[in-house]
Amino acid sequence: MSIRFEEVCKSFGPKTILNQVSFEVPKGEILFILGKSGVGKSVTLKHIVGMLKPQSGRVWVDGSDVGAQDAIGITAIRRKCGMVFQQPALLDSLTVLENVAFGLKTPQAKQVFGTLSESEIRKTVVEKLALVNLEDDILHRRPPEISYGMQKRVSLARTLAPGPQYLLFDEPTTGLDPITTNTVNDLIFDLSRKLQVTSIVVSHDMGCALKIADRILVLDQARVLSLASVEETRRSQVPLIRDFLRETLESENRGHA
Amino acid sequence: MTLVAVFQDSIGLFLRMFRLALHRPWRWKDIFQHIVQNGIGSLPIIAISTAFSGIVVTNEIAYHMDQALHTTSMIPGFSAQFILRELGIAVPALLLVSKVGASITAEIGGMKITEQIDALKLLGINPVSYLVFPRWIASIFSTIALTLVAITVTMACAILIAITRFNFSFLEYINTLRHFVGTNDLLCAITKSAVFGAVTPIISCAYGFRCGGGAEGVGNATTQSVVTSTITIIFLDFVLTYLFTLFL
Repeated sequence: MSIRFEEVCKSFGPKTILNQVSFEVPKGEILFILGKSGVGKSVTLKHIVGMLKPQSGRVWVDGSDVGAQDAIGITAIRRKCGMVFQQPALLDSLTVLENVAFGLKTPQAKQVFGTLSESEIRKTVVEKLALVNLEDDILHRRPPEISYGMQKRVSLARTLAPGPQYLLFDEPTTGLDPITTNTVNDLIFDLSRKLQVTSIVVSHDMGCALKIADRILVLDQARVLSLASVEETRRSQVPLIRDFLRETLESENRGHA
Repeated sequence: MTLVAVFQDSIGLFLRMFRLALHRPWRWKDIFQHIVQNGIGSLPIIAISTAFSGIVVTNEIAYHMDQALHTTSMIPGFSAQFILRELGIAVPALLLVSKVGASITAEIGGMKITEQIDALKLLGINPVSYLVFPRWIASIFSTIALTLVAITVTMACAILIAITRFNFSFLEYINTLRHFVGTNDLLCAITKSAVFGAVTPIISCAYGFRCGGGAEGVGNATTQSVVTSTITIIFLDFVLTYLFTLFL
């Protein structure tokens, strides 16, 4: 039960995004992927769910080679994975209730949960919204009618609803206030510890990584610059990692002041 | 965004639509919603535009007929043929391209750049069957219905002008009309409108799915979608008109 990258290479046109990237995330671990913008962090996540295919190398999810799967195989892998995107990615034409319930009504979800009644679906939706500190009074509102921070949390609730084994977060706390950021970080931590959900979090936020990650992977110039535990990362003398740590320290000091 | 890529995508989408049409569920609720939103929502602009075009065409036909043949007796036949075979079909189709087609590209393009399409895929939903198919079916039904409305409105205005300006009586107009217009003309109108209604959402969706580059990308995709759809409809109009003149 793990996610494994084996010497994955990916280019878009002349630009190499991933070059011989290898790492493994065992079950229940929280891995933070850090790096500057455009370094290939989101591209890494998209390989896991088969939205991108590597030019060479392999990506394994639970022993299945993602790149070798047909449509049915990809659907089976995606059923195990929940992904929270950079943007809320909610369907504007649906209400909050319908958005969160969406993943419970798909044919794949019906195979797992059976056909749920409307009251069961509503109960699950309310539970998932409560997990991300949202009340049920927004159930019948559409995404444009709620704040951006609420939309991000609804998006997270939608991802959690079908009960994924792997959670992939693409900058989950961007645009959120500090309190909600802490809530989301706590949630990632709890899911990992209580339910043994494996999480990969793409972020710029070294502060969050130091608080909740088991290991931190730093990407730079299309390669893995460092893959180490939190303590090892804290002690790292690599200039880029020092820059990230210094920035985190300075922002914490500004916060205390 | 190359035209060739969009053409290939459009062919692929067309084949998918025919395949999806053979399988249930058809998702009638969504289809009905799109019919209301795009079909009924387009009724005012189509009724107003085609009403004026009926008035203009009848006046033009009468003027040129009078100049060339020194008679206006064949106004009903000529205007009815032109309305049923061309004006009442092409005008609504082009209006729907700029209203509904543009809105489909902008909506799907917006969903693409805000990762909603990716979210659908990850939830196990096929974006083509979820987003394109209901719009495609709704567009075919809506375009046929709106074309029949447009023809009725245009004909009513043509009759009104013939009666008020060129001294026809209503019965005289209808009697003359019957010699020129038959069920073949109606068949031509329905066939053309169904084809135009099927083409517009496919091209619009193809551009939407290929959209990228933020808000500017959505704007560019929408513009290109309207241009391509318009040219395609005019070209198909030519092909279908040619075929109908051969066989009907």
